[in-house]
Amino acid sequence: MDLLPISTGSPPKRVLSRALAAIAAALALGALPATAAGVPGLEPKLLPAEQAFRFSARALDAKTLEARFDVADGYYLYRDRMTFAAATGGPTLGVAALPPGKRKHDEFFGDVETYRGSVVVKVPVVDGTPGQSVVVTADSQGCADIGVCYPPSAQQVRLTLPALGAGPGPVVEPARAQKGLFK
Amino acid sequence: MTDQTSEHLLVAGASRGAAGIPRWLAVALAGAVALAAGVFVARTTADSSPIGQEASALFGVTLPDLEGREQKLEQWKGKLLVVNFWATWCAPCREEMPQFIKAQTEFGAKGLQFVGIAVDQADKTQQFAKEIGLNYPALVGGMGAMQLSKTLGNEMMALPFTVVVGRNGRILHTQLGPLKQAQLDSLLSKNL
Repeated sequence: MDLLPISTGSPPKRVLSRALAAIAAALALGALPATAAGVPGLEPKLLPAEQAFRFSARALDAKTLEARFDVADGYYLYRDRMTFAAATGGPTLGVAALPPGKRKHDEFFGDVETYRGSVVVKVPVVDGTPGQSVVVTADSQGCADIGVCYPPSAQQVRLTLPALGAGPGPVVEPARAQKGLFK
Repeated sequence: MTDQTSEHLLVAGASRGAAGIPRWLAVALAGAVALAAGVFVARTTADSSPIGQEASALFGVTLPDLEGREQKLEQWKGKLLVVNFWATWCAPCREEMPQFIKAQTEFGAKGLQFVGIAVDQADKTQQFAKEIGLNYPALVGGMGAMQLSKTLGNEMMALPFTVVVGRNGRILHTQLGPLKQAQLDSLLSKNL
């Protein structure tokens, strides 16, 4: 430590602040592993699933929906656990065009693909007519990098298929997420 | 999940991301000070830590095992009990289970008892238990087990989540995320 020779300006204050900084740094270094290790009260701060994996959707036209997941930093979704379905009684959905994910080898699940950041998925509407409403349920499952996983979750939105030439409908988020985030 | 909780967590999440050393330092300092004082830090969310409390929420539970027989958790009262909430769809859960199997083999005779509660379907649980040679009871809880874990402090209802109960029936430790080998060793050396 070369604190004393250097601190010529206002010695006591400087030494104190440096010492505090050193203590703080040491504590931070010591505390980080403790945070990850789950010392009570210092458990990692996790987002609830619906905020870690924010789902929204809109109808591009009467034949196509656009579903979207915004995945928070430090979280990921599994590609093969993402599905979209429409409630019975309305139009049915075709096969979702899931974009390729990032490939990784999982010790237990084999080769898996994961999504981070924003994932946009086009979902065909098989027999929809303009003005018709469709209730879409998006199933997804993901994890956080710190080593926890969330159970499979189903999020739901109601979309109205736009009229011919009217352009895309509004972006709709599940009611629960809207309440939590904007009220 | 209440709105209040969501907002707190949102804030906590944001400070963690873009942030900032100052925030981290503040958190680290607060944590260190509180630990030094022998006090567990109050969480930003409303609920209190279950540490030190009677594990009555656990001991009152009855769940079916892999053979479909109802098992009451109370039967393991008096042991050093490690209750691990897990699922086959949770890779980190699967990863940590071999060390539990090993510890059960080594310390079972000394009074250590692992119990797995699967937030999963019975057939999948059964298949995986067989695959890894599970040597401690696996109970099948489904999503209801997730609610049980929430009452024990697993607010986010994520897995793995582990609760360690001392021989006196009080909760010694709760853990969201994998239990490190060093933590397990320390818990065993202090409490077995």
